[in-house]
Amino acid sequence: MFTLLRDLRRLRRQLDLPHRTGSLAIRHCDVGSCNGCEHELTLASGPHYDLSRFGLGMVASPRHADVLLVTGAITSRMSTALRRAYEAMPEPRRVAALGDCALGIGLLGSPDDILGPVELVLPVDLQIPGCPPTPDAIATALFGLLASRPAGQGVTVGRPLGSADEQPTGERRID
Amino acid sequence: MSGYRGDVADALSGSAIFGALYATGPVVRTVLIGPDGSPGLISAPVVEGSVPSIVDLAPAAGWDEREAADLYGVGFNGHSPMRPLVAHGAALEDWTVRVSGHDAYQVAVGPIHAGVIESGHFRFHVVGDRILHLDAQLFYKHRGLQAAAEGRRLREAMALVARTCAACSVTNAIAYADACEQVLALEPPSELRRVRTILVELERVWNHLNDVSAICAGVGMAAGNAAFAALTERARRLNDALTGHRFLRGAVQVGASDLDWDASAVRRAANELDSVRTDAARAWRELAFNASFQDRLAGVGVIDAGRARALGVVGPAARAAGLDRDERCHSGRLSYDGFAPALPERPDGDVRARYEQRALELWQSFDLLGMLLDRPVTASRAEPGPAVRIPGAGPGDETGIGVVEGPRGRTVCILEARDGQVIRLQLRTASFANWPAVAAAAAGSLLPDFPLINKSFELCYACVDR
Repeated sequence: MFTLLRDLRRLRRQLDLPHRTGSLAIRHCDVGSCNGCEHELTLASGPHYDLSRFGLGMVASPRHADVLLVTGAITSRMSTALRRAYEAMPEPRRVAALGDCALGIGLLGSPDDILGPVELVLPVDLQIPGCPPTPDAIATALFGLLASRPAGQGVTVGRPLGSADEQPTGERRID
Repeated sequence: MSGYRGDVADALSGSAIFGALYATGPVVRTVLIGPDGSPGLISAPVVEGSVPSIVDLAPAAGWDEREAADLYGVGFNGHSPMRPLVAHGAALEDWTVRVSGHDAYQVAVGPIHAGVIESGHFRFHVVGDRILHLDAQLFYKHRGLQAAAEGRRLREAMALVARTCAACSVTNAIAYADACEQVLALEPPSELRRVRTILVELERVWNHLNDVSAICAGVGMAAGNAAFAALTERARRLNDALTGHRFLRGAVQVGASDLDWDASAVRRAANELDSVRTDAARAWRELAFNASFQDRLAGVGVIDAGRARALGVVGPAARAAGLDRDERCHSGRLSYDGFAPALPERPDGDVRARYEQRALELWQSFDLLGMLLDRPVTASRAEPGPAVRIPGAGPGDETGIGVVEGPRGRTVCILEARDGQVIRLQLRTASFANWPAVAAAAAGSLLPDFPLINKSFELCYACVDR
């Protein structure tokens, strides 16, 4: 298998070194997906895309996360867990909605069981459409979040810190 | 024993196996599947809100009855304690098994897990690192997809079925298409059967590659994890090249296939599959000679043949325990002529057996795809055929039951229709069938081994929660 990994390395030799402008710690939260976004997100961290090499790492705890990456339309049973995960994150924090369900496009299911898109519960800073988005699309969108960040400042995609709709305490209302 | 229970007991003591159980409101129906793969129904009218339970006759019906109790309010006499399954919010002692004794305590995990995993809650009852019992609370992702299908046109509801689960999209879609075509008195001609078989085998290939990668991840074997993740990516790219979707979604329709692959497209696909197979075999061989990795798999999370049979385990997990059932042996609506299941040399029912079973089935799927991709694929339509009558269905009922062997095992799709509309849809996926076995395999194991045991089944939550 190490020979196989060497093959991948040969393919990559033609590419430029990653232009790393910083890093983002990402906490994934599935609130009602079909498992497609998860499978693609897993491969985005795999050898072909290797997000961690570009400074994008998945973290186990929301306490260590910069970005909450949410997949699926919010089911009635996941809304509490989603809010709690967001509340556990330190400021500054951002929310990315991954996949058409999370964006509220063509939602399927019963109204009794599905609340709606992520923006219904949390302020969404980054939208990544697709059903599901390919690992390539996921990587590109997340790199955009990283690249748009000026040196020495917080993430400025979406709502910059201190903008008019931001509460001065840094605590955002989520309900 | 007479009536409903007697009929079920007779069928089970014959050669039939439990296939599914579902409620419609006034009636509860049990699906039994014969040795030739043909399904039949046995129904019980709901009297004063309840029917007799069959969970003592068919323990595999446990989750089906709990689901019917939660979603349709049916009581099952004799099923005690009746713990909620889909319904959340009950007090802890009402949905978990009471475990007490010296040093016994609980470890709660989820619904949000540490990695990139679907959501679900586990409650481990442990002493030290030893798991005594596991209560799984799933259905956090319950989207009401089956209920949403009711009242829709048959072809329209395919969108819901195909989006139930990405990993089992083809399997679920073929099971539903089969059920619809039975109701519509349509038969798939050989070309339609062939293209559907190609699709479900492509789904098996990427899933089994993914599962081997996941098992490696379960013990921190990074090189194996990466090698098989890379192969999974190549398989998904091939899916995209052939159908325009990396999970093959939209490729299965009711009564038709629009896929049109010329000779060069088919040849390119066959060549890529050959290349993936060569690389998979090479990576597999290196893992086979990695003693410290192999040592982590043997004897962990055992489900032996007896327990697998009682729990109604399906698919590679069942075959890894020595059960030889594979629905591909009698899939008249697909192209599996002369198929015989791949069976393990060591049917130990442990993580190693389930891991090795994936490889056996991978090589078999590559062989099948090599044979099926020997000529161009053309668009095809189902043809009018004799109406399929499911034994036990009511005289005026339009009922179809699709049975498909997907990557995780047998998926049963029951469709009750009227005037071209869905009246009731029940999708009993292989993941639904096997989740109780994950909990059973965890009991007696070490808590740190649970991720490995879980990955050795690699079940979907989306397929169960629906």
